[in-house]
Amino acid sequence: MIVGEQKPIMEILQMVSPHKKLLILGCGTCVKTCFAGGEDEVTTLASVLRLALKTKDIFVQIEELTVERQCEDAFIAEAADAVSRNEAVLSLACGAGVQAVARRFPRSLVLPGVNTTFLGVLERRGLFTEECSGCGDCQLAVFGGICPVTRCAKKLLNGPCGGSRNGKCEVNADTDCAWHLIIERLSAQGRLNQLRAYVPPKQWQASLSGGPRKLIREDHVI
Amino acid sequence: MKKSHKLSIFFCTRTFESEAVFLPKAPNSLEVRGVSMACSSMVKDIFLLKAFEAGADAVTVWVCPEGKCRHVEGNLRARKRVERVKALLEAIGFNGRRLTFFNLIPGDLASASDILEGIVATFNIIDGGPSKVSGCCFPGNAALKIQSPFGSNHSIQTDFR
Repeated sequence: MIVGEQKPIMEILQMVSPHKKLLILGCGTCVKTCFAGGEDEVTTLASVLRLALKTKDIFVQIEELTVERQCEDAFIAEAADAVSRNEAVLSLACGAGVQAVARRFPRSLVLPGVNTTFLGVLERRGLFTEECSGCGDCQLAVFGGICPVTRCAKKLLNGPCGGSRNGKCEVNADTDCAWHLIIERLSAQGRLNQLRAYVPPKQWQASLSGGPRKLIREDHVI
Repeated sequence: MKKSHKLSIFFCTRTFESEAVFLPKAPNSLEVRGVSMACSSMVKDIFLLKAFEAGADAVTVWVCPEGKCRHVEGNLRARKRVERVKALLEAIGFNGRRLTFFNLIPGDLASASDILEGIVATFNIIDGGPSKVSGCCFPGNAALKIQSPFGSNHSIQTDFR
């Protein structure tokens, strides 16, 4: 899922306080799972903003709405009425959702309430970790299901750098050495030998480095 | 007598069965509203914030002692949520001391009474007046020493922060 973190409250406050009527628009998918922008977070944020604005004697009428996903037009359309009756929209979706809403309602001011951070998983309660860079050329089969492009600080593809200590990365001691994990995983599977095959330098054209990407499924295009 | 401050108490029903048990201990200057919970894990950020929005001058959360929650983690979750809301309140300039959290031995009315007196004393500080509690100091997160006729053997496991 996409993992994001709600912006600091003072940053949000600064963005919204010039407007008299504000819609806080939540998203019920990824950002709900990482507690950044779901229905609960919308309600909580609205309450905090009301309290904060009251202390500054500023009045902003705040409306709350959450749609299933802000990255699909069919769901965004449900917010049309609410968007039209408010001066500004504070979207708690990921960056994709914010832009989708802004595209759908080009005359409305759409503000981002979440800092989108990474593609990741819920590793354990309360801990989200980055797992995928969206490189566009997945080689996880080679690396036992552990991605060195994302999880190796140096993005090495042909073995460890040798700088790790006790399984921790030389660059960031809080992080597990990805190659330590890869070797352990492949050893457990009895497939360590496959690391003998040389992995050529990565072609980054398929990633964001090659510019923004598109995916077209012709079988879905009518 | 006109009540000068409003207090909302979110309490686990294991600490007190109902607000009727501790309300008689409330100082006359406090208008108290109790919200009972089957477990303190039912405390959610939004409930605490809504209490402030509804006009509470202070909110306090009373839960079982650590390790004694009948649902194992309820009071731990409650503490985390209270801490989060306190941080939010501080960030928006809404004095975090208005929100407090206490682990209470079930039925400990003496501690409840001391807590309520302490909250009244905190209002004096927040509102800019002198503290009425002797021996108290308020540097940052220092514990509030509460003078009590029951001596110092109290079940209060946390502090006014």
